[in-house]
Amino acid sequence: MKRRTLLHWITSAAATLPFLRVTLLAQPRDLTPESIDTLREVGATVLPASIGRDRANAAIENFIRWTKAYREGVPLEHGYGHPRLEKTAPSPVPGYVVQLAAIAKAAEAKGGRFATLDLETRRAILDEALTRGGVKNLPGRPTGQHVVSDMMAHYFRSSAANDECYRAEISRNVCRPIAITTKKPAPLGAQGGK
Amino acid sequence: MATHDTDVCIIGGGISSAMLAEKLAELKPGLQITVVEAGRAIDDVRNRGQYRQRAMEYGEHPWPGDYIEDQQGQGLISMTMAVGGLALHWGGACNRFSEEDLRLKSLYGLAADWPLEWKELEKYYCEAERRLNVSGDPSPYPQDARSEPYPQPATPLSYNLQTLKGWAEQSGLKWSPLPMARNLKPFGGRGSCCLFDTCGTVCPSGARYSPDFTFRQLAEPKKIALHDRTLVRRLVLDEKTDRIVSATGYHQDRPDDPTQYRAKLFVVASGYTWSAHLLLLSATARFPNGLANKAGMVGRYMNGHRFIQARAEIDEQTWPGQNMTHSLISREFFRCPTDKPFVRHDTRVWESSAGRDPRLRSPQGRLLVGDEVFEDWRSRTKGSSVRLRAYLDVHPSADSRLTLDPSKKNRYGDPMPKIEHRFDEATLARTAADETHVMSVFEKMAKASHGKIAGRNDGDYLDHPGGGCRMGTDPATSVVDSWGRTHDHENLFVVGAPTTPTGGCTNGTLTFVALTLRSAEEIARSVRV
Repeated sequence: MKRRTLLHWITSAAATLPFLRVTLLAQPRDLTPESIDTLREVGATVLPASIGRDRANAAIENFIRWTKAYREGVPLEHGYGHPRLEKTAPSPVPGYVVQLAAIAKAAEAKGGRFATLDLETRRAILDEALTRGGVKNLPGRPTGQHVVSDMMAHYFRSSAANDECYRAEISRNVCRPIAITTKKPAPLGAQGGK
Repeated sequence: MATHDTDVCIIGGGISSAMLAEKLAELKPGLQITVVEAGRAIDDVRNRGQYRQRAMEYGEHPWPGDYIEDQQGQGLISMTMAVGGLALHWGGACNRFSEEDLRLKSLYGLAADWPLEWKELEKYYCEAERRLNVSGDPSPYPQDARSEPYPQPATPLSYNLQTLKGWAEQSGLKWSPLPMARNLKPFGGRGSCCLFDTCGTVCPSGARYSPDFTFRQLAEPKKIALHDRTLVRRLVLDEKTDRIVSATGYHQDRPDDPTQYRAKLFVVASGYTWSAHLLLLSATARFPNGLANKAGMVGRYMNGHRFIQARAEIDEQTWPGQNMTHSLISREFFRCPTDKPFVRHDTRVWESSAGRDPRLRSPQGRLLVGDEVFEDWRSRTKGSSVRLRAYLDVHPSADSRLTLDPSKKNRYGDPMPKIEHRFDEATLARTAADETHVMSVFEKMAKASHGKIAGRNDGDYLDHPGGGCRMGTDPATSVVDSWGRTHDHENLFVVGAPTTPTGGCTNGTLTFVALTLRSAEEIARSVRV
C-alpha cells in the first residue's frame, strides 16, 4: 500500500469510527423494558399453564437471565470425530428486541396487546414470526435464531420439563446419589421436591 | 539455547504419559522425570461445575484454552491438546480387548499378531484397572476370565438399564454393566460420582478419572517436572550413534528461545497423531524418512474401529434421563469361530430419548403452544427408545497412513499431520457382511419386545484411533518391540495408542494404558539413576 493511500485509509477509518461506535453502542445488550413486557406476554402463551403461574414466570425470568449471561466469541464445544473451532455468535439480544417489537406490532394490527388476543390469533402471529425466522424445529438449546423458539427450548429442554412430561422425579443431569436411579422414578411431588 | 537435564523425558501429557510417569516414579524413586506437553495445564477443578453449566446452557467448550489453533491436522478426532489430553473428556469406558485381538493372524489369517501373550497383557489390564479405579462386574462369558477382581463393584444399573437388560437378554446375548473409570467412593484425590451425567464433556467431581489429577499429584511433591505449553518439534540424534541426545522444545511465550531437553531416555507418549508426527518431523541425514523409520513403517497401519449405531423402539417403559452415560455391553461377538466368516464386534445398549423429545409443531405442521407441547410430548413417551451401537473389528492396510501435509503448517513452519484411514483387502471384502450381521443382531434384539429398528447411523470416522508406530518382532514390518522400544534407537520408546497393530472392537483406552504400564517396567530397567 502506498503511503498516501495508507494515510487516506487511516483518515477515512478515523472519520467513520465514531459512527461505528455509536452504531455498536446502540445495539441493546439487555432486553428493553418494552421487549420484556412482550416476552412475558408471549411466555404466558408458549409455556405450559399446567406448571402454575409462579413456575411459568420463573421460567421466563430464567430465560431473561440466560440472555444477560450470554457471552460472545467463546469457543463452542469442538466436537468429537470431526472437530472444528467455532465460537458463540454475537449476542442474540438485539435480534430478540426486533423480533419482540414485530410481535407487538403484529398484535396491535390485530386489535391490541398480544396477551389480549384470542389463542388462535396469538398462535398465528407466533407461527408467522417463526416461519419468517426460518425456525422449523425446537432447538436443543437457545440458538439466537428466534426469541420464541429459544424461550421454549430453554424451558422444554430442561430437566424440570422432562420431569413434568413424565410426571416423575427423574432429575436428569441433576447431581444426586446413584442409588436413587436404581429405582423407578417416583411420581412427581411424591418426595416433596416439586 | 537453554538446557534442561533429566533422566527420562516424556513427550506428551495424556493418559499414557500420566500412567507411565506415575509408575516410573514408584519403580525408581529419585529418577528425574520430565514431562513436556505442548498444551496448557488446566488446573482449575473448582471451576468445572460452572464450566459444565455453561456447556449445557450455551454449548461453550468446558475446557478453556485446551487447543492450539495452528497445531491441528486432517483426520484428527479431537482438537484437544492440553495436560490430560483426550482423557480430559473421555467417557471413562474401560473395556478389555480379548485374546483374539492378539492372535488375528494365527487364528484367522488376518492382519497381524501382537508380539505378546494374552496372559502377559492381562496382568497389566489388572494393574490399569487398579490405577484407574475401574468399576465393573465380571463378564458372563467364561473366555473373559480375570486373574483379579475389579477394584470396585459395577456402577449400579439404573432402573432404565435394568429394564433394558431384561429386554436385551431375550435375544440370547449376555450383558453386563459397562466397566468404567468412575469413582463410586472417593479415591485417588478425586470425588465420588453424583451423576452429573456429563462424563464425556466434563466431570465436576473428578469421579471419572482424568490424567490432570495424576500430573498434579506428581508435580506438586516434585516427583516429576511438568513443562506445559512447550511444543517438542524435534528429537535430536547423536552425531555418531543412533541414540537420541535431546528434544528441542519451544515454549509458547518464548518461540525464539528453545529449550534443549537432554535425557538418558526419551519416551514419545503423544498419542495416535503426534507420536508418528514427531518422528517424521525429526528426519536427519542418516534417517531421511524420520527417526525410528528405517523400514518406512512410521505413520503406517493407522487403525481404529468402524461403528454402526441404530435406534430401536420397544414396548418396555423407561424414563429417559436417569443415567444416560452408562450402558450395557455384550461381548458375545468378541469371539468368532475360525470355521465361520470373520466378524467381530462389541454390542452396546443405552437409554435414549431420541424421537421422544419435545417438538415445536404437530405432524400436521400446527404450531404447538403451552400445554399442547406437553400433550404432544406425552403421547410419544409410551415404550422406549434405545440406542444401540457396535464397534466393528476392521484392519488397516499399510497405506492407512499419517503423513506430513506440506499445505498446512504451524507457526514454526512445520508441516501438520494428515491421517487417511484405509482398510486392508479382507476388511473391504467383508464390509457388507459385517453390516448385515450387526443389523441382524439389532433387529433380533428389537423383535424381542415387538420392537423395530427406527433408524440407523453409521459412523464416518474411526473411533479410538491408534497405530502409526506399531509394535512387532520384525524391524522390517514394525516400529517398536512389545515394550515400545524403537527398533532403530536403543533409548527411544513410544507408548500407548500408536503402538497397537490393530484397533480391536471395543474402546481402546484401557488397552493403551495396560501396554504403557508394561512398557514402564522395561523403561525403568533401561535407565540408571
